[in-house]
Amino acid sequence: MNTFSMYVARESGLHKLHPLTKSLLTLLLLVAGLTLPGNWTGYILVLFIILPLALWGQVFRNFIRIVWGLSLPFILSVVIIQSLFWGKGTPIFEFWILAPKVEGALFAAISVGRIILVMAGFILFAMTTRPDTLMISLKQVGVPSSLAYIIVTTLQIIPRFQSKASTILDAQRSRGLETEGNLFVRSRAVVPIILPLVLGSLVEVEERAIAIEARGFNSKREETSLIEIPDTKTQFIVRRLFFMLMILSIAARIAWQLSN
Amino acid sequence: MAIVELKDVTYKYPLTESLALQNIHLKVDQGEFVAVIGPNGAGKSTLCYTIAGFVPHFFKGELTGTVEVAGNESSKSSLHEWVLNVGLAFQNPFNQISGAKYTVFEEIAFGLENIGVPREEMIQRVEEAMQLTGISDLADRSPYSLSGGQQQRVALASILVMQPKVLVLDEPTSQMDPIGAREVFGVIRTMAEKGMTVLLVEHKVEWIANFADRIIALHNGKILLEGKPQEVLTSDLLANKGFGISRYTSVARRAKDLGLWKKDSLPVTLEEAVEGFA
Repeated sequence: MNTFSMYVARESGLHKLHPLTKSLLTLLLLVAGLTLPGNWTGYILVLFIILPLALWGQVFRNFIRIVWGLSLPFILSVVIIQSLFWGKGTPIFEFWILAPKVEGALFAAISVGRIILVMAGFILFAMTTRPDTLMISLKQVGVPSSLAYIIVTTLQIIPRFQSKASTILDAQRSRGLETEGNLFVRSRAVVPIILPLVLGSLVEVEERAIAIEARGFNSKREETSLIEIPDTKTQFIVRRLFFMLMILSIAARIAWQLSN
Repeated sequence: MAIVELKDVTYKYPLTESLALQNIHLKVDQGEFVAVIGPNGAGKSTLCYTIAGFVPHFFKGELTGTVEVAGNESSKSSLHEWVLNVGLAFQNPFNQISGAKYTVFEEIAFGLENIGVPREEMIQRVEEAMQLTGISDLADRSPYSLSGGQQQRVALASILVMQPKVLVLDEPTSQMDPIGAREVFGVIRTMAEKGMTVLLVEHKVEWIANFADRIIALHNGKILLEGKPQEVLTSDLLANKGFGISRYTSVARRAKDLGLWKKDSLPVTLEEAVEGFA
């Protein structure tokens, strides 16, 4: 079913968690992974927390596939650039002007851990949280509804853009646009595809603004909600805990930084 | 009593020279079903936006004259209050989906959540709107997984559920199959009989002849002709101006020239044509 979001419907415990619990957990993992001293925190968190969570959420295979697909370009560029352009160090091998350094490769490996952590954290969250429940819970904690709307619709923008781009691509091809061949041919095809995509999106934004306004989006009345999101006392306490852990890990980082 | 009243309304979009609407005088009674016809660029959509309050509140531009709905004047009200009285649905159903909802049921409830309708009442109203528009079986589907015609029904249901006094519809059936469109016209007719005032922009002239109480023909931003469907749709004034004319009218006009059509008035629908030729 084409729903224009990453969400995968399952009846798992992870899916049933309150969206706020999941967003705080995601945030905690990112903060911890990026602030805690230690080079391999990213890998450890992915291996021992995010992967088991993905298993619990019954989305393991899809999850691995998407994380892999989206992070690969970043990983490749980081590994190539950092290992090749590292200034001084022990070369792994030397070939022509290429001399990747051990230190560069090590630094790349540390960075890759962080990239995978950020990617995996967001993707797992998006795959197990329904956008609409996220919007409702954001509003419950006082996020203005227009901001909540922007956050939620932005999460869906990439699949929607992809689908529109492929429609435009097909349309332009059927009019004889060359999209295959060498780099020069391909780069010439960019403008006739990007331009309708951007202009079309501007028109879409205006119409969507009218449509939601016509449905009382800017109403000053107190909003109600169709869906009730189940929450538990335990989750409430756990969220407090996550929040404190986040503060702690930032504090630990500052303390570590000062002591060095 | 007139629920919609436009007095000498003239409007120009920002950054344009030509007038989109010129000296429009229009009164619509409560429960009346008015259809608007006209060629491209005649000002049909602008008229819709004007009655729905988006001109001038959303589009800015220069508006003179007054637009009144249920005794309130649009230039003196705010848009978020105005939309409670006037509902608007337009042509492209894809852009009318909020994008923040997961199922059709929730999508239709979106407007009611915004205006703070209590949950029990919300569920009841959404179920009614889905039943009316014939989409009850789509309740749990994603709005994005539907066909264009189904999405148009969702867009219509999403506005009907708000229970506006005046319903403004800009080509709401353009992506439906003929049977579906006929069904939806029937629904709109029923709403009008229940007291909802309807203003509909539509090109399918043979059908609006059956459903509308009155027809307004717009041309270059002016009202060219106004009156009973049969009179307006068969008028010679519409010829050669890009208006859609029913094929039955065209046939009968030709037959009249040849002396084969004996009646004074020309037909718009198949039934009238059959009756006239019999």
